[in-house]
Amino acid sequence: MIEVNNLVKTFDGFAALDGATLSVPSGSVYGLVGPNGAGKSTLIRHLTGIYKQDAGSISIGGQSVWENPALKATIAAIPDDWYYFLQSTVVDMMRFYRGFYPQFSMERYEKLKEVFSIDEKKTIRHLSKGMQKQVAFWLTMCCMPDYLILDEPVDGLDPVMRRQVWSLVMGDVAERGTTVLVSSHNLRELEDVCDHVGIMDHGKVLLERSLEQLQDNMVKLQVVFQDGMNEVPADLPVLHASKIGRIHTLIMRMNAEEATAKVQQYAPLLVDAIPLTLEEIFIYELGGANYAVKDIVL
Amino acid sequence: MISLNYRDSRPIYEQIKDELRKLIVTGAMSADEKLPSVRALASQLAINPNTIQRAYNELESEGYIYSVPGKGSFASADAGTDGARKEELLAKVQELVKELRYLGVTHEDLLALLEEGKEHD
Repeated sequence: MIEVNNLVKTFDGFAALDGATLSVPSGSVYGLVGPNGAGKSTLIRHLTGIYKQDAGSISIGGQSVWENPALKATIAAIPDDWYYFLQSTVVDMMRFYRGFYPQFSMERYEKLKEVFSIDEKKTIRHLSKGMQKQVAFWLTMCCMPDYLILDEPVDGLDPVMRRQVWSLVMGDVAERGTTVLVSSHNLRELEDVCDHVGIMDHGKVLLERSLEQLQDNMVKLQVVFQDGMNEVPADLPVLHASKIGRIHTLIMRMNAEEATAKVQQYAPLLVDAIPLTLEEIFIYELGGANYAVKDIVL
Repeated sequence: MISLNYRDSRPIYEQIKDELRKLIVTGAMSADEKLPSVRALASQLAINPNTIQRAYNELESEGYIYSVPGKGSFASADAGTDGARKEELLAKVQELVKELRYLGVTHEDLLALLEEGKEHD
């Protein structure tokens, strides 16, 4: 269990984190999403014990992570800018990791060598960006972590590798109950792998739900009203409405049955409830927070 | 054995449910045959294990599969208890019939179709 309470971090008077609160249940995969500059990476750097907070608390498995090597040995992370020693090979970095993680599994290292098919004697600096990311995954998965923290993990990986690493991570979650926190902008992908989602903006966590609740809490309805009814009735609690031809598309903050029942009162010709994708939920939730695609023509 | 369609508007767990149900209903998966474990399916599809567990739980409550603690999940012989699915399918048939009539298919043609199905049983 990862619990973050009212975390505040200020850099030169700018509050990168401004009272962020989140909780990640054990054995779940938590997707942290938010616009650029929302504070995701800053939050992650607190979870891995790199930054010390100005105020608030972080607890992982009931303990504070700051200067706590015993706890940190159970946390593995892939930051967005993965660090390796300039002249080091994969084997060198493996030895470095092994020194810090008592649970490091050589058996797994050998197995994953086949999966990634990268020459372990190669200098990491000479590998491509995507291959460096693969090395990061390779070594991190060998640490047998209880907590896995990933910042933009599949950036730069090809589609086959993306699936490969997610398959490895999901296998670990199912088998070992690893708790995963992942930040990403690829919402399509998060939808498959996450069971909890937190949306951050301006250093705060705006909302945090299980994916199930999130999907059951908002719905898209396509409605065709009877002749003569060109406008959406004013008393329908609609979050967002658009119209193409005679078809109204309504976004409503309730589950599909409730929304359909509400619209049925007006005896429409057609009502169709469509589940929202995570991407749409993200857009409409942040739309309320004054963050939307602006119509600018260049 | 299960393929997910990422352009489908149905949530992932529903797609898994529908695919498994299809396998069981068509007999591609025979009665008492073991379903893949949640773990195997999670790493094979690269999907969150809880999502797969949700699909399994719902299929179990609808009677399509049953689980034996410590052994796994198995296909049921029949799922007569799934009233909700029956209603859903009947509504779909109604919709189809409406469209077929619109296309000029006669009442007799539809009856003949039903009779044909009866002979297959």
